Amino acid sequence: MSASALILEAPFAALGATTFRRTPKRPMDEAKFEAFYRKTAGRIWSYIYRMTGDAATADDLMQKTFFRFLRSNPAIANDDHLRHYVFKTATNLVFDHFRETKRIRERVVEPPRTSDLRADRGELRHDMMRVFAELKPQERALLWLAHVEGSSHDEIAEAMGVKAKSVRVMLFRARKRLGDLLTRRGLAPEGTR
Amino acid sequence: MSDCRLEPDVIRAAARGEWTESLRAHVATCADCAIAAEIAPWMQQFARMDDRAHKLPDPASLWVRAKLLQSTAAADRASLPITRVQIASYLVVAGCWAALLTWKWSALSAWINSFTPAHVILGAAGAETAASLSAMFFLMLIVLASVTAMLAFHTILAEE
Repeated sequence: MSASALILEAPFAALGATTFRRTPKRPMDEAKFEAFYRKTAGRIWSYIYRMTGDAATADDLMQKTFFRFLRSNPAIANDDHLRHYVFKTATNLVFDHFRETKRIRERVVEPPRTSDLRADRGELRHDMMRVFAELKPQERALLWLAHVEGSSHDEIAEAMGVKAKSVRVMLFRARKRLGDLLTRRGLAPEGTR
Repeated sequence: MSDCRLEPDVIRAAARGEWTESLRAHVATCADCAIAAEIAPWMQQFARMDDRAHKLPDPASLWVRAKLLQSTAAADRASLPITRVQIASYLVVAGCWAALLTWKWSALSAWINSFTPAHVILGAAGAETAASLSAMFFLMLIVLASVTAMLAFHTILAEE
C-alpha cells in the first residue's frame, strides 16, 4: 500500500477547506494506528458489548469497525475527530446488526456468559446488563454516548444519524425510562429519587 | 427548546458526587439536568464494570488483515472490466451460434436426416438427396467451436 493512498477522505479531509493553503496530510501508518487502537479499542468494545450484550458479537463488530476505519484511509487528524468517527461507525454497525437479526425492538440482550464474569462482581454485572438490555438499542446508544463518552448532543446526533434537535428529547426519554426501570427494580442510587 | 449548557457539568458532578451549590440550584429548576443527575451514578457504575478480562485482538494482526482486505478489494475492482468483457464474449458467442443455426437450420436438418437408414439406402442406390452444406458453413462452425473452447479454457484458468 503506497503512502499516498492513505489519505483521509471526507468528512475530515474538509477540515482545512476554509484556508487557501492546504496542509499536507500525513497518512496513518501502522505505528500510529496501533497507538490509536490501544487508546480507543477498549472503549469501543465496551460500548458495543453494552449495546449487544454478547462478547463474541462485540469482538466481531469491533474488528469490522476498525476495518472500516482503515478502509476510509485515515490521515492523522485530531484524535477526537477520529474517535467520533470510530464511534459513529460502531453505532452504524450495531444498528445494522440489530436490523439483520430483525429483533431491534424485542431483542433481549443475553446476560454475559458465566466465563466472562468475575465471581465477586458477577451478580451485579448480570443485573446491570439486564436492566440496560430492557432499553431500546437507540436508548442504550444515547445514554452510553452522553454519560460514558461525554459526547455533546451534536456529536450524538452525528454518530446516530439523527437531527441534533431531536437528541435532547430522545435523551430525556431514555433517561426517564432508565430511571423508571431502576426505581422499579430497587436499583436507583440513593438520594436521586 | 435549547440544550442546557450545564448538562455535562451536572453529569460529571453526579457521577463523582462532587456538587456545588450553584449546580444543585440549577438541577432543582432544570428537568433535563434533574433526570441526568438521577441516572448518572448508575451509568458511571455500569461503565466501570470490569471488561479487562476480555482480550482485545492484536492491532498488528488487524492492520495486516485490513491491508489484505484492501488488496482484495482493489484486485476485484481491477478485474471488473475483464469480467464485463468476458460476459459480453459469452453473449456474442451464444448469439453467433443462434444465428448460424437459425440461418442454416433447414439445410442442417436435411443433412442430419441424410444419415437415416432410408436416406443411406437411397443414396447408395444413386438417388439424389437434398443434403448439402457449404464449406463456408463448416468453416464458420469450426471457428465458432474454437472460440467457444477458448472462452471455456479462459474461464477455467481465470478461476484457478
